[in-house]
Amino acid sequence: MEAIKNVLGKYENEYIEDYKPTWVKAKFKNPKDLLNIVKDLKEVGVETCSTVSPTDFIDENKIEVNYFLEDLINKKNVWLKFDLPRELEECKIDSITPLMPSADWHELEAYSTYGVKFEGHPNLRYFLISADYFGKFPFRKDFDWKKHEESLIQNIDDITSEWLDEYEENKKTLPKDGSETVLHWGPTHPASGPIRLVVGVDGENIKWVDPDIGYVWRALEHLVERKDFVGAITSVERICFMDNPNPMICYSEAVEEIAGKEITRFAKLMRVLLGEIGRCASHLISMGGFFGNAGLHTFVMWTMDIREYFLDVLEDYSGARIATASVEPGGVRYPMPDNWLETLEKAIKKYEDTVPDMLDIFINNPLMKTRAINTAKISREDVITNYMAGPIARASGVKLDVRIDEPYAGYDEIEMDYVTCENGDVYDRLYIFFKELNQSMDIMKQAIAKIKEGIEKGEMNPKKDHLVRMPRRMPAGEAVTRVEWARGEMLMHLVTGEKATSPYRLKLKAPSVNHTMVLDSLLRGKTLSDIPLIYGSMHICQGDLDR
Amino acid sequence: MLLDIAKKMIRVTKSIAEDRIATIDASKEFVHHSDMFRGKHEIDYETCTGCDACNKICPVDAIVMKPLPLKKPNKIPEVNLAICIFCGLCEDVCPTKPEKAIKLSGGDFDMRAGGDHEAQDNFWVKVEVPEDWIEQRKEEERKKAEAAAKKKAEMAAKKKAEAEKKAKEEAEAKKEAEAKEANNG
Ligand code: SF4
Ligand code: SF4
Repeated sequence: MEAIKNVLGKYENEYIEDYKPTWVKAKFKNPKDLLNIVKDLKEVGVETCSTVSPTDFIDENKIEVNYFLEDLINKKNVWLKFDLPRELEECKIDSITPLMPSADWHELEAYSTYGVKFEGHPNLRYFLISADYFGKFPFRKDFDWKKHEESLIQNIDDITSEWLDEYEENKKTLPKDGSETVLHWGPTHPASGPIRLVVGVDGENIKWVDPDIGYVWRALEHLVERKDFVGAITSVERICFMDNPNPMICYSEAVEEIAGKEITRFAKLMRVLLGEIGRCASHLISMGGFFGNAGLHTFVMWTMDIREYFLDVLEDYSGARIATASVEPGGVRYPMPDNWLETLEKAIKKYEDTVPDMLDIFINNPLMKTRAINTAKISREDVITNYMAGPIARASGVKLDVRIDEPYAGYDEIEMDYVTCENGDVYDRLYIFFKELNQSMDIMKQAIAKIKEGIEKGEMNPKKDHLVRMPRRMPAGEAVTRVEWARGEMLMHLVTGEKATSPYRLKLKAPSVNHTMVLDSLLRGKTLSDIPLIYGSMHICQGDLDR
Repeated sequence: MLLDIAKKMIRVTKSIAEDRIATIDASKEFVHHSDMFRGKHEIDYETCTGCDACNKICPVDAIVMKPLPLKKPNKIPEVNLAICIFCGLCEDVCPTKPEKAIKLSGGDFDMRAGGDHEAQDNFWVKVEVPEDWIEQRKEEERKKAEAAAKKKAEMAAKKKAEAEKKAKEEAEAKKEAEAKEANNG
């Protein structure tokens, strides 16, 4: 930490302060210093950019750009802030992508939504948002959504006809001989989900891949600003349907930090349980989906079957299976129903009973092993430069887990260790999910035991302790929270104004962005038939990719 | 090795004895039904106070307030189920006690709209408020208002009388004081 502070201290700053045990927060006066700061930070081990988040302070006529940089090995994080003028011509800062490739798409996103120009970015372009928002920078506070939405149908028609024109043009002008062609994998491919991979192929050999994303862009970060602090959970949870409770935990922790409230131990342990149930639900789809992508649907049916048991648990708790809205600032939303822990134990048992069959038939499947072992390896260095998060990083043997590195909710009470694989190939990226599921079951058992003990001793009241009162109006402030989501680190940056009733700005950072970013380098030189396998092994979810 | 094979055989044989029906017709029968289930709304016009809290909190603006020719409730919520995301926040904020006037518990199998626009547009929880209830309520309100008015008038009369009495007393006291002063002087 001292080394980092020394580096930062060399530059003209407003403040440098400790923030949480693992973070240093610093605000600088001169945006021109950015590149030098990042260069120096790289020398002391901070090599990865988690995300870039601009905030539009329209009253002060400035845009504040936040950089979240991480040292994944030594668990030291840096939060840099710079003020930029709001005027479009002057709203620019040097791009850190040449130094930290992990910042690439995050900078594009900041440019498309806020109009912060990143000078020196290798390919600065509009990205993620649909074409009718190009050049309008929708997340700025003065963007008029109502007016824009009036011409919704017209905009769609325009985009379609533009595309058709281009198609006709290409039909006439593109050469018809040779074996090179451009293929569109998705968005209607059975394995793709709402994403389109534009694949340049020569015969069946892949020359390049250009992912086209944004099909399910819902501007969640903006929707949150329109809602009150509790209502915002309905937007936050819609980031992805696979692992539902964890994003809400992340958001709620941020709100609680700003309000300065501590939640009860019971609520903390409930968050552990809900978070792990979400993780299981997500991992089961991921594992099944891996085979589903490759065309083998039996396993998906199996894992979905187990998943239903976990969804039953969620339904018994909250009344909904997928969009549970079960965690809100101040604790968890509902009291614990009677016999709920037993339902959960039943689900755990269902999983554990199926394990031998899963191992025999699928996980150790010799055909799949032949295809997957040593395919598309991700090295430890790749993990650090491109910030592969969560299970993908752990499959390459990098010890990375927010639950251990920066414990939140009740995880500080839980005994757990990093689960890792060694090789970082496609097979490991499947096997890691299986290992993590087993770990999740263990964590849940620990949490169940703790809750039962607490109730027995009379320390916890499952009908009353679930929620503490939150203030109606929040003080001004900002917070950064991270949780270990099913597919990697999720980071939220929440800003509130004085006496606020709704969030001023919420940045959602989700892991799939980086995992999609590396598809090009993973797929180059492979053949078309490798796409579903490798794409499936990255466990990409378009919900959190587009937000 | 042999033991392994034997174990696996036993596992496979066991599964033969298991229930053969793998599917349940979910349109007729609940696969899993929790008491908490957040389904179609039930709106109780008799408890609702028309406070508008549910309408304000709804994150997707699924609630429309229907005006009533009454003082309380002067409006009651109706929910567009095609928009609703069943988050349950409206139930959470509803201030009536002990029973909430708007509740999500209990969805039913009919809670499916046909796929076309028309069906979606008509996919509402409407509240049928019976005319005679409104009349009765109006009557009650009128009586209440009358009673209140009466009470107010009584109060006013009482106050007036009191004020007069007080004024009289004061005047008398003054007179006395004046008389005293005159005597002294
Ligand atoms: S359940 Fe949620 S979305 Fe539906 S009406 Fe109530 S507040 Fe609105
Ligand atoms: S249903 Fe409840 S919250 Fe809605 S107007 Fe009536 S009393 Fe208020």
